[in-house]
Amino acid sequence: MLLEQIINGITLGSIYAIVALGFTLVFGVLGIINMAHGEIFMIGAFIGVLITSVLGLPLWIAFIAAIGVTVILGYMLERIALRPLRGKQGVSHLAPLISTIGVSILLENLSHHIFGAGNHPFRHSFAQIQFQVGSITIYLVQILIFVISITLMVVLSYWLSKTKAGKALRATAENLETASLLGVNTKRTITTTVIIASALGGIAGILVGMAFNSVNPQMGLSMGLKGLAIIILGGMGNVKGAMAGGLLLGLAETMIVAYGDSGYRDAVAFITIIFILLLRPQGIFGKNTAEAGR
Amino acid sequence: MLGDIINPYHLQIVSFILINIILGISIYITLSSGQLSLGNAGFMGIGAYTSALLTINFDLPIFLGIILGAVVAGVFGILIGIPALRLSGVYLAIATLGFGEVIRVIFVNWESITQGSIGLSGIPHLGRELFKTFKLTGFDPDMLGLKNNQFIYLLVVLILLLVNILLVWFFIRQNKSRVGRAFAAIKMDEKAAESMGINITYYKVLSFTQGAILAGFAGALYAHVMAYISPADFAYHRAIDILIFSIFGGSELIWGAIFGATFMTILPEALRFISDYRYMIYGVILIAMMAFRPQGIIDVPLLKWFKKSLKLKRGVSHGIGTKKYN
Repeated sequence: MLLEQIINGITLGSIYAIVALGFTLVFGVLGIINMAHGEIFMIGAFIGVLITSVLGLPLWIAFIAAIGVTVILGYMLERIALRPLRGKQGVSHLAPLISTIGVSILLENLSHHIFGAGNHPFRHSFAQIQFQVGSITIYLVQILIFVISITLMVVLSYWLSKTKAGKALRATAENLETASLLGVNTKRTITTTVIIASALGGIAGILVGMAFNSVNPQMGLSMGLKGLAIIILGGMGNVKGAMAGGLLLGLAETMIVAYGDSGYRDAVAFITIIFILLLRPQGIFGKNTAEAGR
Repeated sequence: MLGDIINPYHLQIVSFILINIILGISIYITLSSGQLSLGNAGFMGIGAYTSALLTINFDLPIFLGIILGAVVAGVFGILIGIPALRLSGVYLAIATLGFGEVIRVIFVNWESITQGSIGLSGIPHLGRELFKTFKLTGFDPDMLGLKNNQFIYLLVVLILLLVNILLVWFFIRQNKSRVGRAFAAIKMDEKAAESMGINITYYKVLSFTQGAILAGFAGALYAHVMAYISPADFAYHRAIDILIFSIFGGSELIWGAIFGATFMTILPEALRFISDYRYMIYGVILIAMMAFRPQGIIDVPLLKWFKKSLKLKRGVSHGIGTKKYN
């Protein structure tokens, strides 16, 4: 029973981690919170529904389509809502926050309009395949989600630490002006970051569709809020913190549902971050600097 | 006659505008000391539930209920405001947003008292209760040529208008006082303000608490104007709406919050004929607004220009010729 719950928690947590990675990449490079990330995630999930349940095509096509659509969305987000605000005189730090909120309102209502308010089932061929290991049941879907998440995290970590583009991204995150003086094409780096973050959101959307078998236009909001909580938990802009924070939150929520009051599941994330912010504002994995939390 | 012009539906919208103006001012006040709080929807919920529960369960008079709602929200404001001093910028925004979500989840789950997500109904209506008192004194709306319904909604609007005028007057006065200057100094540069001898702890908590009191007050009024509240009324979307009032209108001035609240309440109603698309348009407006006028519609230069052109016009009517010789 406990082991099964832990497996459920890790499955949920690895999805949370991918959503949070999208948030943390954008925050790390641009220093803004992308409130539209949850809605891009939701669009990814709907693309998955469209491809697998409506058109009846295999799952891997759904992944490719979702990545394609969210990449376009990410590019448009950066081009329309973020770039016009950058480097402009007298723009408060709230402006990008508001404009991404605008994008999120637009996307939420657009999908509400196109797909309707209700839940859409996510059908795929191996939903019922399961293994019996001793007394516990493991679904193939859970393994698949976990493997995809871990692969993504490893690839992303490698890309960030070893490749030239990843180094450029980290340099831009460190200091935009210095990076551009040193010959980094910061404009392209920023666009790449937003696109990668959006694609991660799209993939996470399909994974959530697979895990919970239901997709609706409101799911972007709750996932977005949890993603925010996770990046606070793990430290803003911290990639490893986002992964660990996501897993922690997934486990904590599953445990609350299993052994506590399931009604308070959605509050776990926020009660945790309120305490985290007050006790350790730089996040669990954040560096201890005086400026953290400021 | 008066009875032909007054439409209860329009009056209802006007009362929403007036409540939203209070909410807009509530976030303006916290922003004026440089703190971005997204917890005002939570404080609004606390005010609304406090007042509604007190008036339903203990038959408290509405006015007392509303004041207690604001007070309880204010107490929570102090409780949240003091630890929140350690945070600023996005961190404060997310923590307060989290506070609002926690409050909402508590309202949903504390079913024995709040009736969960079904919400509270049968909250005494501000206008109807007042109407009863008027009836007791032998007053009949027919004397003004009004139907009962029209009179009730008119009463609500008049009370809210009076409250709004008092609040705006108070906060304009405060902005020109020692307190307002302290807020502005803290917003400009916290460390410099501290070195000038401003007690930033006191003033930051003061502005945070003022915001909470106002939001709670607006929430209590909302409960007694709607006569029905549910946790969904005080969720994330409300927090964002309140933020947009101030940011859209212009967060530097109190007039920005007032204009933003008015415009953003009328806009969805005005776009009702394309109701399927209106929230999409709302989103597009926000994006365009930030790209072209990120400081909000009303800023200091606009207000100065407005005052100047007003003065010029007055100058003409009084005759510029005399001025030349003075």
